[in-house]
Amino acid sequence: MTEPVLRTENLSKRFGGLTAVDRLNLSIPSGRLHAIIGPNGAGKTTLFNLVSGLLSADGGHVFFRGRDITGLKPHEVSRLGIKRTMQIKSVFAQLSVAENLWVTRNAGKRFQHPLRAAARDHETRERVELVLEQSGLSALADRPAGTLSYGDVALLEIGMALISDPELLLLDEPTCGMSPAETERAVARIKQLARTVDIVIIEHDMSVVFEIADDITVMTQGGILASGRPDQISGDERVREAYLGRPEDEDYVEDVINA
Amino acid sequence: MMTPHVIARVMLIAFGVFLVSVPWLIPALLNPFWVSVVAEIMIWSLFAASVNLLFGYVGLLSFGQALYFGFGMYGVAIGVATLGLSFWPAFGLGIVAAVVIALVSGILAVRLTWHYFAIITVVFSLIFYFFAVSVKPLTGGDDGINFALPPTFSIGGYTGSFGDASFQYFFILATVALCFFLMHRVIQSPLGKAFVAIRDNDVRAALIGLNVYQIRLIAFVMAGFLAGVSGALFAFFGRYASASYMFYHVSGEAVVWAIVGGAGTLFGPIVGTTLFIVIRELVSTHWEHHALIVGAMAILVVILAPKGLVGLWNEWLLRRGARTAGAAVKTKLQTEP
Amino acid sequence: MDILPILALNGLIWGLIIALIALGLSIIFGLLDIINLAHGDFFMVGTVLAWFTLALTGNFWAAFLIVPLIGFLLGALIQRTVIQPIRNVAALTIVATFGLSLILQEVVRMTFGTTPRRILPPIPGTFPMFGINYDIYRLFAAAVAIIALAGFFAFLHRTKLGTWMRAVRHDRETAIAMGVPAQRVYVLTFGVGFALAALGGVVAAPITTVEFRTGVDILPFCFMAVIIGGLGNLPGTAAAAVLLAFLEGIIQSFADPTVARISSLVLMSAVLLVRPQGLFKGLTK
Repeated sequence: MTEPVLRTENLSKRFGGLTAVDRLNLSIPSGRLHAIIGPNGAGKTTLFNLVSGLLSADGGHVFFRGRDITGLKPHEVSRLGIKRTMQIKSVFAQLSVAENLWVTRNAGKRFQHPLRAAARDHETRERVELVLEQSGLSALADRPAGTLSYGDVALLEIGMALISDPELLLLDEPTCGMSPAETERAVARIKQLARTVDIVIIEHDMSVVFEIADDITVMTQGGILASGRPDQISGDERVREAYLGRPEDEDYVEDVINA
Repeated sequence: MMTPHVIARVMLIAFGVFLVSVPWLIPALLNPFWVSVVAEIMIWSLFAASVNLLFGYVGLLSFGQALYFGFGMYGVAIGVATLGLSFWPAFGLGIVAAVVIALVSGILAVRLTWHYFAIITVVFSLIFYFFAVSVKPLTGGDDGINFALPPTFSIGGYTGSFGDASFQYFFILATVALCFFLMHRVIQSPLGKAFVAIRDNDVRAALIGLNVYQIRLIAFVMAGFLAGVSGALFAFFGRYASASYMFYHVSGEAVVWAIVGGAGTLFGPIVGTTLFIVIRELVSTHWEHHALIVGAMAILVVILAPKGLVGLWNEWLLRRGARTAGAAVKTKLQTEP
Repeated sequence: MDILPILALNGLIWGLIIALIALGLSIIFGLLDIINLAHGDFFMVGTVLAWFTLALTGNFWAAFLIVPLIGFLLGALIQRTVIQPIRNVAALTIVATFGLSLILQEVVRMTFGTTPRRILPPIPGTFPMFGINYDIYRLFAAAVAIIALAGFFAFLHRTKLGTWMRAVRHDRETAIAMGVPAQRVYVLTFGVGFALAALGGVVAAPITTVEFRTGVDILPFCFMAVIIGGLGNLPGTAAAAVLLAFLEGIIQSFADPTVARISSLVLMSAVLLVRPQGLFKGLTK
């Protein structure tokens, strides 16, 4: 049994009186696209924040390919190969699309050269052009990222996550706020990526989840309610009750599975 | 075709030619006194540039750069007056002192952001201001100390010294130009891009792997270097050093110059400093309340043109560039059948 | 002059006056997110207006009423004309207040002149206490400061406007959602801030020199009180002001005044770095 790509052990996080993540024991195997779903406030984004180092845990550990990464600072976690996108899309608004990608690729290097002209770095330039093409953003390369449509910002964020050769991608609601067409593009991109990169995705859009996920974990109130393959999850009574909701929704789920 | 790029280049060259010819041009047109005003403008531009590096490129508003200016200034003054150093060792002492204190205070200050960062930079500069005032025998307190000028260097029979107005001017010009060139290189470098990314979105910067604290500290030390050089030059220029130059008013004025000139642009500090010092020189002979103009302009610029003069200029260039590009496309479309 | 009881009492009373001024700074900082570099000059304007009131009416007591009122109006005016238009460029408000500081100082220089003047205490004479003869006016000043402080806290907790201010300080978005007119609260806050500083100026005028530079001297001290007391912690700020001034007064009796000042600044740095919520959080509500 190979080492899980991401594993948490009794991971806990409290905010004052509220326990956002409660002694979480999660194990995510490599090579399978894993989706985390659950109602708002379940602790999904907090989990991502803990893994990526934006929050420090009150208890427990996080392991990345067997290595304890608990308590590492965000840039240290990033340098290990764990990249993430944010729930509220977050890029460098005043930099152009191409510069966003350029800076991201270059950030992985330990030493930021203070005197050599950035424009001379051909290797980085070529990678940027490649990712621009793959993301379909070449036409927007020189536009300030703050002027992009929501869907394009999301694609840029994913492009930024990719350009530094990630080992593990954490995508936080990547299709949130997207039009159906944009969602289709994003889903296609994610499916393509999943072939070479380990991906964990938080999603609310059930059609997306059931389309791309190999495994699903349902979180609620800081803990795991259920975990397993999509058909197991959709058949789970507790999940239906806690999350998928009322009997009317069951038909929707049936339709999605049988689609 | 006058593209923005060409316009900028031409202006830069014209500016350079002007600066080099000042020691002959200005006495011929005006009055030799203005040569030393230009020299002073250059020194203070460098100081404003240190504020601009931190605020315009990294997003850290320091209201305490006068501290590093002061260390550069006192390094030279105390070096010459008390330690009997000659020109270059004293110059070096001033710069090293400024950089060291920038590193020490930066390690602490850069842990804070936003308002608290601004406040602590003022606090640090006040601590050393009061300290400098209290050790009056060494620093002369607010009254300051005067010192004799050591010659800069001697080659063969020629002795270059700040006592000679032309030599002083060119030395200052060369030093300031070198510092601005270094700044330009840094801004264009990967480090400079990292600065701007951190300014824009420091959480995102950390997530892509940038060590935000470390990079901010590097910028802080660089800014301290620039302020220290300007302080050292100032000491040689006036053969004078006084604790009053470490007070937060001095830092504040430089912030106004940098912002009015244009934060985040290379030439902003020069434009802003020139504007205010020229106003001061022109107005103060007739009206002693020119500080009113400084205050009013600070407020007006923040309300009406927060990008500053060079910022507005760059925007105009961009719009013009878009129009010429658009015009070029239109003609292209029209010529095609 | 170097007697410990006098310096200690002086420190204590100054602390009460500064508490008034620092509270004004604190509400501006806490509610409007503005570092008001002109706040010391608000105090200075208060002393100058007190002098003018005395010169024009021959009655110093009138100043206690007129000057804070003028201060309030000036503050409200400044908020509408200068602060409001730049709410989006938050980082630059500090630059605008710096400009304001320069303007205030120059205007005073133009109207009042550069010569420092003194105002004779309206209540002359001394009162024997603790084995020394202490100025009666200073005791009166302390009483006024205490009443003003009490009045301010009463306003904050018992009136509708005061409650609005506290709501906006606590949670701006929720307060707006609940219908608190944020705009008016901002204007009110700046006005009250100026008024408090100006009142401090009136109270202090007879025991300090009246000149255009007094604001610059007092500003760092006010910030110290706000930071060490804790941003948003108004009772803490008042307590910090009194404590710091009292300690500085005592230290002055055996050391150089700059030593006292430097120690306070170092303490302030430590608080900023280690405990930015201030030293008094948890000790007062």
